[in-house]
Formats: sequence, structure tokens, C-alpha cells
Amino acid sequence: MAVEELTALEKCLGLKAGKYSSRAQGSCQIPVLQTNKGPSLAGLATIASHLVTQARKEELLGKRRAVVQQWLEYRTTRIDRLTSKEDVRTALKDLNSYLEDKVYMAGNAITVADILTYYGLHPFIADLSIQEKETYINVSRWFSHVQHYPGVRQHLPSLVFIKNRIYTNVH
Amino acid sequence: MTSPVRALCLSSRSTKSRKTPTVRSPEQSQAMRAVMGFGDLKSAAGLRVLNEFLADKSYIEGYVPSQADVAVFDALSGAPPADLFHALRWYNHIKSYEKQKGSLPGVKKPLGKYGPVNIEDTTDSAAKNAKEDDDDDIDLFGSDDEEEENEDAKRIREERLAQYESKKSKKPALIAKSSILLDVKPWDDETDMAKLEECVRSIQMDGLIWGASKLVPVGYGIKKLQIQCVVEDDKVGTDVLEEKITAYEDFVQSMDVAAFNKI
Repeated sequence: MAVEELTALEKCLGLKAGKYSSRAQGSCQIPVLQTNKGPSLAGLATIASHLVTQARKEELLGKRRAVVQQWLEYRTTRIDRLTSKEDVRTALKDLNSYLEDKVYMAGNAITVADILTYYGLHPFIADLSIQEKETYINVSRWFSHVQHYPGVRQHLPSLVFIKNRIYTNVH
Repeated sequence: MTSPVRALCLSSRSTKSRKTPTVRSPEQSQAMRAVMGFGDLKSAAGLRVLNEFLADKSYIEGYVPSQADVAVFDALSGAPPADLFHALRWYNHIKSYEKQKGSLPGVKKPLGKYGPVNIEDTTDSAAKNAKEDDDDDIDLFGSDDEEEENEDAKRIREERLAQYESKKSKKPALIAKSSILLDVKPWDDETDMAKLEECVRSIQMDGLIWGASKLVPVGYGIKKLQIQCVVEDDKVGTDVLEEKITAYEDFVQSMDVAAFNKI
């Protein structure tokens, strides 16, 4: 899963495919990238930052790097550990209120935080019913926005968001 | 928007030509008549519409900032209040593009081309008209300077308007009508059926036309009156008819609907 995402991110950044492997750590699988020169890198957030620097697209790390790092960490510590439906709902609720006044996760431009959160949330959002999508309207708006950002979606199927809201009394 | 319109706008912009063709296909002119907008963007109500519109969208149009956003942004008199957080989020986001305003993609259109359908744009009508006059992009009828062309455009526009109106007025001609067969029963064999029929036929209502009738023997010399009528569904209901017919209680004992067919 994580390896697939990183390959998608590589394509999105216009990089050549790197050599990945997975390592089990506790209950999680951690992606490992074997770099040409130097040591191998482990962990989704680390590799993602490395790839962005590699592609010389530092703007994707955001003007406020700390915020981006924070969301990368959120991605690995929180989104990747969502197991129960209840967990997913709480996380989406949090994100929904966070995204209320934001177009992107950090700042006014797309960052790796958006891309990786998008990849991470994709399976959960795909499971949502139309009504739930409308309940998390801010997440839906952000998600639909990111998936339409050129190059980001890659192999993932485009999820449908209804343009005319049905349950208008829900916010 | 359809691409021909955009192409037209672009060409008029690039060449500054004032002789752009003024003939448009009917569906284009109809599309242009579709009412869109946010109402008055300077009012609280207009801002609420904008807020509602932006709840599930990041931009006014599509997935990138464009001139559509700039147009609406410029129409606002300032940042929306904090309780309209969708509008405020969008406002702050677009504000971050302030420096690249001119280079954002797309062509600026009048405010009435954006936003939810069925709400008319009323933002600063006077100011908008003035803007429209000096803005090439929204000079959709081309040529303001040349009288002749202008008249031509006007004439074509009026023609199309008339065409559209007549088309529209023809539509309601499809009124739902029904053909009803009524059974009207007298009290006994001594009831004057001719008089009864006369009474029934004397009922006159808008959207009611009486048709053929006949007397059908029921038994013991009693006959009932079977009469056809055509009604417009919106204007005449069977209950109203029944009420009126049974009002002639000297002759009519009861009334039934024998058949009811939509035409």
C-alpha cells in the first residue's frame, strides 16, 4: 500500500521509479527506499520528503514546513492506523472541521501533505455513502479538489461527488 | 460555457476587432439567457448564496483559480463575515493569488454567468452595465461603435427573443385534459329527462365542454342520462362537477363518473 503510494508520488513528481521494499515493524509495514548513494530510507513521510527534494519541487514542502510535517505525521500515526468505522468517523470529523477554512491542508498551495493525505484517505472516502460525503462536506470538497489536481490521482479511481447537494440541511 | 462563445470572446480580445460576427445559434442564445448569479453580492443575502455555493467547491469554476474567481472576488466589497466560513475561506484563498490576478486562466465574464442557476445577479446593476460597456470580453453582441452593426445585432437579438418567447408561449398549450363520461340518475320514471339534460348542459365553467349524451334504460322504465364531457384538469375537477349537477335536486338523484380518460 505505502509502496504503491510512493510510486504514484514518484510518477506525480516526474521521477524515475526507485527500489522499494517493505519492512514489518510491529503490526505495520514500513516502506524502505534504497537510494543510489547513501543509506536506505525508511518511513512514508521521510521518503516522501526525500522524493520532493530529489525532484527539486521544494514548493511542495510548503512555506510552513512544520505544518506539512505535522500532517505527514498525522498521516502515518493516525490515518494509517484507522481500523474501526468509529475511528474513521472521528478522523473525518476532525479533518472536516480543520478544512472548513482551508482550501489546502497547509497554506494556499498544494503540498505533499495534501497528496499523501489524499492517498491515505482514498479507501475510506471510497466507502462513504453519498450522505456521509455530504456530512463531511469540507473533506469532500478538499478531496475532490486534490483528486482533480493534475498528476495527483495516478492509478486511483476518481471518486464521485454529487454536485447538487441532496441533504442540504446537513452541514 | 460553450467553447464557441469563449473562442469568440478570445478572438475579439486578441484582435480588438469590433467586427466579430453577431449571429449565434439558438441554443447559445438560450444558454445565455439562463439565469445565474449570486443575487446582490454586496448584500448579506448575496454573500449567503455565495457561501452556500462554495460549501462543496474550492473555486467558482473548476478546480483551479481562474478569472471567474477574480470576477466574483472583485465584486465583493471586502472579506465576508466570519460566520460565512465557506465564503471566507475562498476569499482568503483567492486573496493569496492577488499578485497573479492577471495571469490566472480563463476569461472574465459578467457576474451573471457564475454561481447557482436560477438566482439572478443584481450586484450593483448600474456599475455592472458601465463595466460591460468598456469590457471587450463581455461584449457579446460585438460592435458598440458602429451604429449599423449595433442595430443589426439588436434586431437579431430581438428576433431571437421573440422566437424564444413564442416558443415558450406555445409550450403551455399542452394542457392536461380529460374526457369524462358521467352517469346522471333521475329520481323515478316520471322525471323529465329532457329537462334534466337541459339542466346539466346549462352548467358552464371555464375549461368544461359538454359532448354527446344518450339515455340508457336502467330498468322499470327508468332511464339514466349518460353524458360525455371534456375538462381541463387544472380548472375543473369531478367533485366540482358533481356538486353542480347534484345541485339540481329536483331532477337528479345521484351522479357517477362512469369513465375517466386522460387525453
